[in-house]
Amino acid sequence: MTEKIVSLAELARSIPDGASIGFGGSFLHRGPFALVRELARRGARDLEVIKASPGYDIDLLARAHAVSRAKTGIVAIEGGFGLAPAYRRAIEDGDLKLEEHSCMTIAAGLRAAAAGVPFAPVAGVFGSDLLELNKWKTVVDPYGTGKETVVVPAIAPDVAVIHANEVDARGNARVYGSPHWDHPLTRAAKRVLVTAERLVSTEHLAQQPELTLVPGFMVEALAIVPRGAWPGSLHPDYEVDYQAVAAYLEPGDEALARHLAGAPEAQAFVRA
Amino acid sequence: MPEWRDAEYVVVNLARAIQPNEVVFSGVNSVLPMAACILAKRAYDFPFTYLSVAGGVDVVPERLPRSSTDPALLAGSAAIFSNEDFYDLATRGKLDLIYLGAAQIDAFGRTNVSAIGEWAHPKVRLPGGGGAAVMMPTAPRIALWRTEHSPRTLVEKLEFITAAGNTVVLVTPYAVFERDPAKNERFHLATHRPDVTPAEIAARTGFAFDAARAAPTPTMSKRERAALDAIDAFDLLDNETPKNETLRGA
Repeated sequence: MTEKIVSLAELARSIPDGASIGFGGSFLHRGPFALVRELARRGARDLEVIKASPGYDIDLLARAHAVSRAKTGIVAIEGGFGLAPAYRRAIEDGDLKLEEHSCMTIAAGLRAAAAGVPFAPVAGVFGSDLLELNKWKTVVDPYGTGKETVVVPAIAPDVAVIHANEVDARGNARVYGSPHWDHPLTRAAKRVLVTAERLVSTEHLAQQPELTLVPGFMVEALAIVPRGAWPGSLHPDYEVDYQAVAAYLEPGDEALARHLAGAPEAQAFVRA
Repeated sequence: MPEWRDAEYVVVNLARAIQPNEVVFSGVNSVLPMAACILAKRAYDFPFTYLSVAGGVDVVPERLPRSSTDPALLAGSAAIFSNEDFYDLATRGKLDLIYLGAAQIDAFGRTNVSAIGEWAHPKVRLPGGGGAAVMMPTAPRIALWRTEHSPRTLVEKLEFITAAGNTVVLVTPYAVFERDPAKNERFHLATHRPDVTPAEIAARTGFAFDAARAAPTPTMSKRERAALDAIDAFDLLDNETPKNETLRGA
């Protein structure tokens, strides 16, 4: 078996500039935020972020000038902090090209890619200007009801990155709590990378295999990153660090540098 | 001191939109609807199913989390009803009541959560509608809320239509508007805060509405009051309605 366990820095280096990345989690919850920070530290450029409800992650990458395109459904820091300021500014300044979705339209696109079909039907959307904006097509039920349904193109991210509670050396990744959109995301992406709080034995995971969100054969590489979802939450291990989120939102390059330097993964080991 | 604080008025009237035996959903970025569902569980005797975007089923936390996606809404849940599950439930018409927010709302209960100014070159990029464009036309009943009640938020013409569909009620800190989506009708003023007149509400609303059936909003019940006080120990709710400070006394 090839060694899948790499450092966080190696994991981030394996994602090339220009890649489209689907991040796991939702808003401040169980995002692979240490990996996001590592992309900023390595000076990544021209990334595309694909996520129904990003916030801290896309905002940090916008602040680090690492993201140029995005497919999103709703973007906010949330938790009482409101809009994502750097993301918002990047769009208003024309630095970030947005493809605006309706959450489920991203999921439908991921499902299409996962199933190996070029498009997928999605309910609703009629009456929304998103239909014309995105030039989404409709199909009339070929089986005779006459019902018209919107179809969206497949979305196959170059890379999916999720943060898991536990992972074994083979990449079997266990998640407690909501899977958010991580299930279709990891099936749709061309590559799957995992960060996880803890390395565990395969025997441990085999006791409750239904909790494994991604089987190891689908995972290319993984990094063990304690508090890797900080400053977000990881159920049931830790809650959102609201003070750290507030400190992150202080304007200026110095505040961002302080935030990156103060992150758990920057404390945990002497950086290569 | 007025009878209702802004946030209390929104939360209680969103809670009052819930009907017995409904399946009800509160989503991301939705602290006030989350509070409404938790209040309804504590204050009302009838059964209903509360699904949250965090994946919990009928979880009623002791204290209100700051995020409506918080895993606190999973604690003690006997099931996880995931994103795909509740979207599918909504789009097959079985999610009875969904709460959705918006930056701008028109008289037909359509929303703009996308952009102020031209979409491609926005003056203000807004968060986006989440699943609204998918859920609003497919779920039977949509309840909207807006914490700023002003001519720039309640408008005759939206700058962009993010979502349109089965809106039945709109709650602001001053008023409850209702409409019947089956008739594709405009909102009418259903009830209003007793200390604000329909004429004052009209002056603060960008779309025209019928006020002939309007009545003062019924007083908060003791159980509603007690439920609110119990869940809002951290004054999170007031944090959700800062914008109306500029409107008070206007």
